[in-house]
Amino acid sequence: MVHQNIKKKVNYYKLFIYFIMFVIIAKLSYIQIINYQDINNKANQSWDRSFPLQPSRGIIYDTNLNEIATNLPSMSIYVIPSQVKDLNSLANTLANVLNVSSSKIYNKINKKTSIVKIFPEGKNIDNIIAKKISEMRLEGVYLVYDNKRYYPYNELLAHSIGFVGIDNQGLAGIESKYDDLLKGNEGQLNYKLDAKGRLLNGYSSDIISPINGFNIQLTIDLKIQQILERELKNAFLKYEAESIFAIAMDPNNGEILAISSYPSFNLNDYKSYDQEIYNRNLPIWKSYEPGSTFKVFSYAAGLEEKAFDMFKDKYYDDGTEIVDGFTIKSWKKGGHGLQTFLEVLENSSNPGFVEISRRLGKDTLYDYVKKFGFSKKTNVDLIGESSGIFFKKENYNNLENATTSFGQGISVTQIQMVRAFSSVINGGKLFKPKITKAILMPNSNEIIYQIPTIVDNENVISKKTSELMRYALESVVAKGSGRKAYIENYRVGGKTGTAQIAENGVYLQGQYILSFIAALPMSNPEIVVYICMEKPHSLIQYGGTIVGPIMKNVLLDIISYKNISRQDNELSFEYTWMDIKNYPVDNYINMSIKDVKSKHFKFVILGDGDKVISQLPKANEIIEEGKEVILFT
Amino acid sequence: MLKKIINNKQYNLIILTLIYVITFIGLYMVYSSSSIWAKFYYNDEFYYFKRQAIFILIGTVLLYFFSKVKLSFLRKKALMILLIGIISLILVIIPFLGSQINGSRSWFKIGPFLFQPAEFFKIIMVLYMADRLDKYFNITKYFFKTILVLLIPCIIGFILIMLQPDFGTAIVMFSSIIMMCFISKNKFKNYLFLLSFAIIAFIVLIIISPYRSDRIQSFINPFSDPLGSGFQTIQSLYAIAPGGLIGKGIDASYQKYFYLPEPQTDFIFAIFAEDFGFIGCLILIILYTLLAFFIIKKAINEKSNYKCFLDIGVLSLIMIQVCINLCVVVGVIPVTGITLPFMSYGGSSITMLLSSIGLLINRSDEINEYNNVR
Repeated sequence: MVHQNIKKKVNYYKLFIYFIMFVIIAKLSYIQIINYQDINNKANQSWDRSFPLQPSRGIIYDTNLNEIATNLPSMSIYVIPSQVKDLNSLANTLANVLNVSSSKIYNKINKKTSIVKIFPEGKNIDNIIAKKISEMRLEGVYLVYDNKRYYPYNELLAHSIGFVGIDNQGLAGIESKYDDLLKGNEGQLNYKLDAKGRLLNGYSSDIISPINGFNIQLTIDLKIQQILERELKNAFLKYEAESIFAIAMDPNNGEILAISSYPSFNLNDYKSYDQEIYNRNLPIWKSYEPGSTFKVFSYAAGLEEKAFDMFKDKYYDDGTEIVDGFTIKSWKKGGHGLQTFLEVLENSSNPGFVEISRRLGKDTLYDYVKKFGFSKKTNVDLIGESSGIFFKKENYNNLENATTSFGQGISVTQIQMVRAFSSVINGGKLFKPKITKAILMPNSNEIIYQIPTIVDNENVISKKTSELMRYALESVVAKGSGRKAYIENYRVGGKTGTAQIAENGVYLQGQYILSFIAALPMSNPEIVVYICMEKPHSLIQYGGTIVGPIMKNVLLDIISYKNISRQDNELSFEYTWMDIKNYPVDNYINMSIKDVKSKHFKFVILGDGDKVISQLPKANEIIEEGKEVILFT
Repeated sequence: MLKKIINNKQYNLIILTLIYVITFIGLYMVYSSSSIWAKFYYNDEFYYFKRQAIFILIGTVLLYFFSKVKLSFLRKKALMILLIGIISLILVIIPFLGSQINGSRSWFKIGPFLFQPAEFFKIIMVLYMADRLDKYFNITKYFFKTILVLLIPCIIGFILIMLQPDFGTAIVMFSSIIMMCFISKNKFKNYLFLLSFAIIAFIVLIIISPYRSDRIQSFINPFSDPLGSGFQTIQSLYAIAPGGLIGKGIDASYQKYFYLPEPQTDFIFAIFAEDFGFIGCLILIILYTLLAFFIIKKAINEKSNYKCFLDIGVLSLIMIQVCINLCVVVGVIPVTGITLPFMSYGGSSITMLLSSIGLLINRSDEINEYNNVR
């Protein structure tokens, strides 16, 4: 029998063992249950490697789903330092291929991190370099599919689209405004490595798919945008203007159909341009005195308030008006004489507008300026909008009222002008302008959110006034200062503007912003186009003369693109001294040289004969007055 | 009397069952945890598994042998066996005779196998001590002095093993002997003296060897030097924690993929915890605790004080090692280099353990006594 004393002590021993086992279980439960998450995460970090999978950035479409901003597949370099035997020689090799300094690469890969992105040197490398690297079969170096932003039209819509940085983050324009929607979510390819840096076979690597960004459908019509940019670019080069910018808008919903700004830049190479060029989207950023184009709004206010009957009431323009001791001159020496108020608009007579402002009174006109949305941002969905400048109510007296009526002393943005003009011709609705039409699902392009059309003011002017305005504006183009944009059978209406540029409160001599705002067809306007040109190098400095032909080209192309049908009962064109007329060429063939005469054309005679054998241009072709007709004898 | 004999027989059956359940779980874990390293070193994922299986077979033969050997014979030859043990410990630290692995000269190389005399010295020491404690059991007057004298071969063995050096084995042997003394008639306060002696020795050992203080340092904050001395502790935690409540599943460990060095030896429990989680660990710990419980039940049920001392000695060899190993693996105490009995890979260890189980279930003394009674 075992001694009692032993039995007693053995029981202590037993308790001692139980106690230690309890301690171990307690510690185990702490590690495996209570503190599980923390240590497990650390452990996973030591096993897991993950390659980021780049999502495709959302595509930006025009209204007809033409791609304006898209992606190109590319390759990016990643390095797993633990798999590299000699970091130094790898740094040298990569630096050689990528043409950067090897110390830069070495600093990047000489890290304890599990995976290193060679950024930005190894991001979106071109195919030749990628092929070279893959052929070298460098240990621990991986090429991962990536994608690179690409703008197929280079300069097109540059300012409004904006661009992305090296890491595909939106930096300007729509790319920045809608970055959260466009960028999508990065995915991951996770897999486990053993401690020797080799892939663990048999353990499934899990893939978290990248989620592609949403696509965005703009209200922009690529075709109209191209038309506008072509004409603007030509004019920009021809007149060596400081800047030229334009907006085309659908007046019935505030959608921007085209928006352009020169000087422009290539979206695929924005870094080679001056910051001032790509940061200034002039149609929304530039704030300037509109000049006579602004008369549209004071005129509409006058009609709405029944300050005059534009057909019956007359005003005698003797060339000057005096307001509070200041003399305001007409642009034409000696004035336009006795005119109906319709002719006041057609002739863009400043004294006539002084009279209109007087009849309206300063409070009324002030309110209209505000109602048309000036001096505050339109909240168009673009970045970098200015609000323009207008007088404070307490500083707004008769003189300010008078100058405002013909577009001086007030500073506006082009987008404000276009939407106010749209409200004048669309029956009085002031829309919030927009450039984004809808947010689309990636891949399917199913619409997930339609950007609503917002009316900021239902009734700036009445339908009746709007109708009268359409007539008046058509008449400006047919008979008045907008004649250069007249297009037979397509009822164009519009208004020109020639505004002296003020700097530090002084008007600069001979420096103008020439502008033309036009819409068609006036029976039921489908499109408004507004073009401004700043400081062109030209002898003639009239909006109608310089910008008119550009506007005409734009409108003609839009007519053929949009298939706008011919309209009858248009106002017929009236010739004035300002216009060059066209005449049909007579038939001179078989005539004797001596008998050849014309009131309109000059002749160039080639050959020694007496009789005309042939002529260029042919008979009945219409050419401009003063041009040469070549006769062969 | 007859009833108790049957009872002890039953205990033996229960103990053997527990031992072999744990041993086969261990054999599987040796395969599972070592296959990656085995493939890497020997291009044979079953390398360690096969060897461990052979050791278990040898151990089983030894178990049978020691269960049948007459204890009275062993008692008679105790001193001689002790001498052989001490001589083998001296021989193994002689450079030409002993083989050095991982900085310790602890092995004789015999053919393809390594033989570790210290492992067997532990059981030799237990046999000797059981014999002496029983003999001097009733001497109470100079008991303390007697105990000290009895401890002299133990201290010699301890020093010899420390010279290899093999800190873990030395500690396990020494503590087992102390536990045996503890249950003897010795007074509790005397035992406290012995204990404080052991603690002081332990502290001195830590101070004189720098790598041991590193281990203490890394134990306090394993992340202070994650690639140096804290490495094993961290890698062990990285195995245990991801196991969570229910584990990753059979053979699903990541840490065995070269993260944890030699996962089939000291840290086999970490891989087990990774695969089977908290619940698996709980079951395994309960198995060990049940083993302790039944050995103790058996010990206090023995016919003689000698056999009881022997049982407690064997129990201590197993359980002190289990406790230290598990405490190290879960990070309760610093890394010491002790394997998990019946689980870890190791020929000397498993054969010694199975041999000692043979002594444990040996009933030669009972039969004698039974015969005497008749």
